[in-house]
Amino acid sequence: MVSRDAGASRRALFGAAGSALAAVGGLSLAGCGSATARKVAPPPPAVAARDIELLAAALELERRTVAAYVAGMPLLSRPLRRVARQYLSEELEHTGELISLTRSVGGHATPRADSYRLGHPTEPAGVLALLHELESAQLATYLRIIPQLSPGRVRAAASTILTVDAQHVALLRLQQGQDPVPSAFVTGAE
Amino acid sequence: MTTSDSAPCGLPRRTRRQLLRGVAGGAATAALTAGGMPQALYGQGTPIALAAPAGSIAEIDRLQRLIRVELLLEYCYRHVLTGSILTARSSRTIAPFLGQVQAQVAALVRQLAARGGLMPAGPTSVDQANRLLGHRRVGGRLGQLRGDKDALRLLLSTEQVVIGAYFVALLKLEQPALLELCAQIMAASSQHDAILRLLLSKRDRLAAAAPYGLVQGLQ
Repeated sequence: MVSRDAGASRRALFGAAGSALAAVGGLSLAGCGSATARKVAPPPPAVAARDIELLAAALELERRTVAAYVAGMPLLSRPLRRVARQYLSEELEHTGELISLTRSVGGHATPRADSYRLGHPTEPAGVLALLHELESAQLATYLRIIPQLSPGRVRAAASTILTVDAQHVALLRLQQGQDPVPSAFVTGAE
Repeated sequence: MTTSDSAPCGLPRRTRRQLLRGVAGGAATAALTAGGMPQALYGQGTPIALAAPAGSIAEIDRLQRLIRVELLLEYCYRHVLTGSILTARSSRTIAPFLGQVQAQVAALVRQLAARGGLMPAGPTSVDQANRLLGHRRVGGRLGQLRGDKDALRLLLSTEQVVIGAYFVALLKLEQPALLELCAQIMAASSQHDAILRLLLSKRDRLAAAAPYGLVQGLQ
């Protein structure tokens, strides 16, 4: 789902179809591309190859985080489980968006791994710590790759994922009894 | 008079305009490094250019836009926090945001100064701020807020305008360090957005604080 705050400009650039489908359909549908994304002229091959590589790194982390939400949810209290389910849906939307972006620059998403090493948390605090760690790793990755992504539209699209992961981190920190917004500049190290 | 490219003392020759910019820039840098944002810089468009290589006009223009919208946000936070409209809980929660917005402005001003840009003016009165809020289609007006929720909604909408400004900046800018700074601030603004939503929510609060999968703010 695209934020209700979102203006028409972004829709004009990418369309929302792919992302919405990904969010509703779960993992198996996460790869459905945005129809309008394909209308955009692809960047030069060298730029596209670098972008595809950078987007693949972000996609791998998003998938790992999805796996952690799925595995960790049963260990959470009922109210937290409801929240985690929503965040999971948003993470799925991110994977769909990244796959659409990869296609828009002429690439194909790498296949999803069969399993991920996530440690062995056995209680809610452990799950929250794991989710916090993974979401923070995503922030650090987006902050590293966004300046390197070459077409502005891909950069801006990646930033719309960064903002949501930053919100997840703030709210996970709050749930862990920490300051939700400890810095004026998000780095992923918080 | 020498006609070479170097001044008599061996320094490169400069035009009158470059010299004037250098003096103004030096003063501004001294003020900035002396301790954050001097109030004088918030007034009428103040030249704070440095003798450093100038940035592109597009970069300077984008930085000025970002600073303008951040100054508006800062004005709103200060107005709301200095009034008695917020509950103690809201006030305590969002008080640190003002300092964070000021730190963001200072970082942008340093980037602008390094590119020889002119410091844009921020609002200096409630009327001015309200005109700017109206121009950016933010609902609610300072001075007419009826309670905690009204104030939080206004701050939330203004944060969304700020997020939208960074979204556009990431679309337009090219310089990597500047892009990273914009992304860092955009992410922090989205965290402010989440906490403001949390304060506004009634049930299922954590879910209400981050209700969208993709956030690009208001343009």
